[in-house]
Amino acid sequence: MKSFQFIKHPILIMLLLIVTFSCDDELDKEPITEASASSVFDNPEAFKQFLAKIYTGISLSGQQGPAGDPDIAGIDEGFSNYLRQYWMHEELTTEEAALSWQDGTVHDLNDHLWNSSNEFVRAMYDRIYFQISLTNQFLRDATEERAMAVGLSAADVRAFRAEARFMRALSYWHALDMYGNIPFVTENDPVGSFFPEQKDRAFIFDFLVTELTEIQNELVAARQNQYGRADQAAAQMLLAKIYLNAEVYIGQPRYTEVITELNKIFSAGYTLHGNYEELFLADNNSNGAQNEVIFPIPFDGLNTQGFGGTTFIIKAPVGGRMDPAAFGISGGWAGVRTSKQFVANFSDITGATDQRAMFFTDGQTLEVTNKFDFSSGYAIGKFKNVTSTGVPGSDASGEFMDTDFPMFRLADAYLMYAEAVLRGGSGGSVSTALDFVNQIRTRAYGDQSGNITSGELTLDFILAERARELHFEAHRRTDLVRFNRFTQNSVWPWKGGTFEGTPSQPFRNLYPIPSTDIIANPNLVQNPGY
Amino acid sequence: MKHFKKFSWIVLLFFPCITFAQQLVSGKVLDRTTNTPLPGVTILIKGTTNGTTTDFDGNFELNVPNNNAVLIVSYIGFATQEVPANSQNLTIYLEESSLALDEVVLVGYGQTTKKDATGSIEQVTSDKFNGGAITSPEQLIAGKTAGVQIIPAGGRPGAQGTIRIRGGVNSLSANTSPLIVIDGVPIDQQGPALNSVNPNDIETFTILKDASATAIYGSRASAGVILITTKSGKGGPLKINFDSYVTSQLPTDFVDVLNANEFRDLINANGTPNQIAQLGNFNTDWQDQIYKAGYGTNNDLTLSGGFNNTTYRVSLGYQLQDGILRTSRFERYNSSIKVTQKLFKNALKIDLNIRNSIVDERFANQGAIGSAVNFDPTQPVFSGNDAFGGFFESLDTDGTPKDLVPRNPVGLLKNNRNLGETRRSVGNIQFDYKIPYVEGLKANLNLGYDYNDFRGTTTIPAVAADGFDEGGSVTNTFSLQRNLLVDFYLNYVKEFESLKSKIDVTAGHSFQDFHRENGFNRLNGINQTQEDFFATENALESYFGRLNYSYANKYLFTYTVRRDGSSRFSDDNKWGTFQSGAVAWTVTEENFLKDHKIISTLKLRAGWGETGQQEVNSDFPFLPTFTFGDSRSQAQFGDEFIPTIRPEGFDANIKWEESKTWNFGLDWGLFNDRITGSVEGFLTDTNDVLSRIPTAAGTNLDNVLLTNVGNLESEGLEFTLNATPFQTDDFEWSFNFNVAFLNNEITKLTASDDPTFRGNLVGGISGGVGNTIQINSVGFGQNKFFVFEQVFDANGKPIEGFYVDQNGDGVINIDDRRQFRDPNPDTVLGFSSYLRYKQFDLNFTLRANFGNYVYNNQAASSGNFSQTNTLDTNTNVHGSILRTEFQEQLLFSDYFIEDASFLKMDNITVAYNFNKLFDQKVGLRVYSTVQNVFTITDYDGLDPEVSGGIDNNLFPRPRTFILGLNLTY
Repeated sequence: MKSFQFIKHPILIMLLLIVTFSCDDELDKEPITEASASSVFDNPEAFKQFLAKIYTGISLSGQQGPAGDPDIAGIDEGFSNYLRQYWMHEELTTEEAALSWQDGTVHDLNDHLWNSSNEFVRAMYDRIYFQISLTNQFLRDATEERAMAVGLSAADVRAFRAEARFMRALSYWHALDMYGNIPFVTENDPVGSFFPEQKDRAFIFDFLVTELTEIQNELVAARQNQYGRADQAAAQMLLAKIYLNAEVYIGQPRYTEVITELNKIFSAGYTLHGNYEELFLADNNSNGAQNEVIFPIPFDGLNTQGFGGTTFIIKAPVGGRMDPAAFGISGGWAGVRTSKQFVANFSDITGATDQRAMFFTDGQTLEVTNKFDFSSGYAIGKFKNVTSTGVPGSDASGEFMDTDFPMFRLADAYLMYAEAVLRGGSGGSVSTALDFVNQIRTRAYGDQSGNITSGELTLDFILAERARELHFEAHRRTDLVRFNRFTQNSVWPWKGGTFEGTPSQPFRNLYPIPSTDIIANPNLVQNPGY
Repeated sequence: MKHFKKFSWIVLLFFPCITFAQQLVSGKVLDRTTNTPLPGVTILIKGTTNGTTTDFDGNFELNVPNNNAVLIVSYIGFATQEVPANSQNLTIYLEESSLALDEVVLVGYGQTTKKDATGSIEQVTSDKFNGGAITSPEQLIAGKTAGVQIIPAGGRPGAQGTIRIRGGVNSLSANTSPLIVIDGVPIDQQGPALNSVNPNDIETFTILKDASATAIYGSRASAGVILITTKSGKGGPLKINFDSYVTSQLPTDFVDVLNANEFRDLINANGTPNQIAQLGNFNTDWQDQIYKAGYGTNNDLTLSGGFNNTTYRVSLGYQLQDGILRTSRFERYNSSIKVTQKLFKNALKIDLNIRNSIVDERFANQGAIGSAVNFDPTQPVFSGNDAFGGFFESLDTDGTPKDLVPRNPVGLLKNNRNLGETRRSVGNIQFDYKIPYVEGLKANLNLGYDYNDFRGTTTIPAVAADGFDEGGSVTNTFSLQRNLLVDFYLNYVKEFESLKSKIDVTAGHSFQDFHRENGFNRLNGINQTQEDFFATENALESYFGRLNYSYANKYLFTYTVRRDGSSRFSDDNKWGTFQSGAVAWTVTEENFLKDHKIISTLKLRAGWGETGQQEVNSDFPFLPTFTFGDSRSQAQFGDEFIPTIRPEGFDANIKWEESKTWNFGLDWGLFNDRITGSVEGFLTDTNDVLSRIPTAAGTNLDNVLLTNVGNLESEGLEFTLNATPFQTDDFEWSFNFNVAFLNNEITKLTASDDPTFRGNLVGGISGGVGNTIQINSVGFGQNKFFVFEQVFDANGKPIEGFYVDQNGDGVINIDDRRQFRDPNPDTVLGFSSYLRYKQFDLNFTLRANFGNYVYNNQAASSGNFSQTNTLDTNTNVHGSILRTEFQEQLLFSDYFIEDASFLKMDNITVAYNFNKLFDQKVGLRVYSTVQNVFTITDYDGLDPEVSGGIDNNLFPRPRTFILGLNLTY
């Protein structure tokens, strides 16, 4: 009994209890508001939500609209959006667009002076590889087995996976086009510290051809998928674009294959929308324009908000005496104008004949004498956040746009067809090509007054017609490279750093691999010239 | 009987004031050397906690149980005496002790004396604190100790400054602020500001600097540890203290911008026709419009005392401070209760501590600070019509406010109501139990909590220019942090007299659990809603031990070990062990120096220790997780909108940073320690430094990931001198002088050693988007500025865009930027003076930094002509344009890297003490303080003290005038 005397001290007992108490399990914490990878796919909705993330990887900048939880670091979130960066890299480096802002090294894009430390060049690259990593992760996670375990059908999941592979191919194409020989990773690589191998353009080209050929059968038939999601025609269009630029990528012409892929699209029932302007309005997902669009990037003023995408594409070109209300926006960002070289593509700049001339000249000068001044250079009012009936978009504050971005559309396919025929591709005809081009011009002029003859259908004409039809739609740099007019054989204001402009070195047909990745991955060799 | 015993225990706990038969003794306590009475001397009956304190005349009265009772008479700074209570009228003389070394100092999980300490520990007690209207407690010790930098935040009342111990350079991306432990409860390092603690409640700050002192805090100790003890009751009859002051704050200076006439001249001479057309006819100094004098008051009431086995202290506080930026306001209500209860013949001591506070703030819209610099000075404050609340704004052709241009600064302030309330409660209960039957063994249990809840609402009315597009908005934000602590340790002290040895062993277990959440919801005037919520948790579990061994009081040895487990790492990396060892030799205990006439103290110390860092700003950095997207970031699939999930990047192998520190110290004292000082040298190596670095493209889901790469080194020397050159009845002057020399270097940064790698760019600046001005490079100190070398003309004027071609390749590009200067001072000095003449006293604190450089971001981004035009709107520019005549923004010229060395007088206080009022019962002290008295510097910006070294739109620190009184009863 005596040995238990210490029990009389209740405090001592308490202390003994606590000293023997171990909290080991308490160190195994789980996330609360985030989902852990081990449980997230118990929810069947998660598969579609993950696929949705891959699509918004192009349109948005993160998990909080319009900003607040960005996908990538190293740049302001507003700038970090994929489509905004892609637009900047395809447009600001050409005669189509100049930017008056002073953000970081952005003028080096206008001026053809960028180097491997350029934060925008890095942001584009990091966006591409974020997208590739995202799709690789999807392909690892969204297996048929896992999906069927929670009640999804195998067919659904196969289509999801094919769409993810399309989205990965799209980004790999951008990487191939802009950066040349690039690191290559697939779902078969792990997540973590390893150094991806750098593959040359021929390897990536072959990979993309194989991928896009394979998934064509697994994707939903053209125009049968939900709006905003990729279908067979999207894959065919992407493949056609890769073939069209094959001489740039692998030094070999593949124009016949271009025509083969485009012919599949032409048989799917797409039609040119009757009104050019309506292609770029807030209701372009429902006003008929959707029948021309092969692959849109959808935006919504209330549900799909960001400072990139069409918010940037609509707001950045509005300034000076332009009326923001006419664009369905709260205010413009007074940034983007164009050069006199682009204006020269139009003999009548008023829009009275060719409606695609959408210049705003009041208070603006033709010459871009001052690169920091919005009034230097004509403005272009092509994209708008008002509907075909003149109603502003759904966000009453005018901050975020409903207007969808037509990444691939039929008119582009028509011009590609014509170009492939002119460049010697077989399986098509000059007469069909001429018919396609004149359909486009008939729409632009409202009648046949702008139609051309077969004698006028030259490669130079195609390049100019692509500028007229597709300007501000993020095609220009790739087009100019293909025509060898991006660096050599062309000038525009401030190219090379001078007002008159000077040709730049051919090595600039590729962007440099960002210095951050050269450092992070010792397997990488920088593009020549940088 | 059994039941009765239990019951009696409960009775004892709740009715501790049972007393026994008595006899009265009285007496007087005097200072032996000056023969003056000593007030406030503690007198205890030996073996009990019964006692009292002397009054202003040194008199006391006390009931003692019998003639054999012995009184323990103690007073800070004097040797404690034991006096038999054998006379009705005692006269007791106390002698000054060689006080510094007997001073009790805190260490982690316990205490020691300065004499027995082996590590680098500095203690600042409340009598040495900085005076003034202090809203955030760390300001109390600015300039007081070598190697501790307190960089004040801006002038927003309540803003918390940055604390850096020994430079705070042991990490790149993880935490570099010290762990703060309040009464044994470590506070959340990601947690809320210290400003909820009433500075008046703080008794001491103990700064643990070297690893041998901090290693017992293991994985949270790399940036140093600060132990805060709050005040306790001293026992004896009720004492009342009331302190009250009023303040007035004034701005000291404005940013150098063009005035209206200078701006008009510039635009008329060089502007476009459009710009000239926009010029107004007004002369508005926008900075003058947004700042004003800020008034405030602070009132503290403290009751303390004790009876028998209980001592208590209760305090109530109220502080109000208006900021100098219009509409900013800080209000704090405090209460604290501290009760110490002794039970079982003093075997059990229970300390209960509860501190509550409510902080009500109105946050001014600080966007007004930048706007006041950039807004066109030729425009009026008011437009003359009702739109936008009557404020003049830049408008589009359709009469709506332009996007992305500066808004009217006064409008930004007035049309924005951002109110926040923080409720915080911190408390602990500590049981210290002398275990019966084992002499020298005690157990200590500490249960603590910290709960902090913030709720705020920002209202922007529909008329506000920056709310116009969406018809105004209401945003509610909230956050909650709470942590719970259970600490238990056993301590065993034994002296082996035959071996001249003493051991002191501590072993314990600690568990702390942290929960954090935050979120917001927002509704605008067109019925759009938005919300977000985030919650997370982490936990730390530790086992720790310490062994102190001393031989003949002259050879001291300490060993500590801590094993820490953190929920933030994977099972393979969860646990880490951190050890330290230190030795000290008290030379003055050797015969050849003992009782030396001049040298009273001489002690040599050497220590080594390992510490870690797990404060990585993420609770699951090793785990693959998915983040849900909100309702505004959905994908459109057909007619439906699909919310998204995003996989997050992770590093499965992430683990602690580990620092190893050597520390050597010498403590000395002369003339019975009238002059004391110490010299410390340290060398720290940090391995596996956590840094956010770019991942190899395609390998992870984040393009920038926190991971262990790189090594750092830091070294330093610290000198401290405390002296009392004059000490007489009427006149006393003492001072503290301290200086630290600091240096650091990055020795490794990446997994691969690429000699062409220049470093990681850091230090985001304003001007463009995404620009950085600093770099972390191998072979250099941290955060070096990374800039072009400016070329000047014969008159010393910078030539626009003309830089030195460092690599001689004929092209000026980023390869020609070089590492140049850094924001970290090489030398940090502090000087505190305490002067008393009769009933006057005069105290002040001076601080100086040398070798710290600042990037004048304001001049760099807006001191050029291109910035006069922002999106077709005239905007004002920095006054440096008159000297440089720069046309374009030259963000990366080293012209804007300025020497920001400074000497500041932080505060000066003059006071008069009326010691005896109202029948000698009331003490009164009247004081006046000026804070931020003067700054001597060559730096052109507002204030050379800029945490991080990038000066941009700082809330300017005001000069504060204070008048106060302190009543003691």
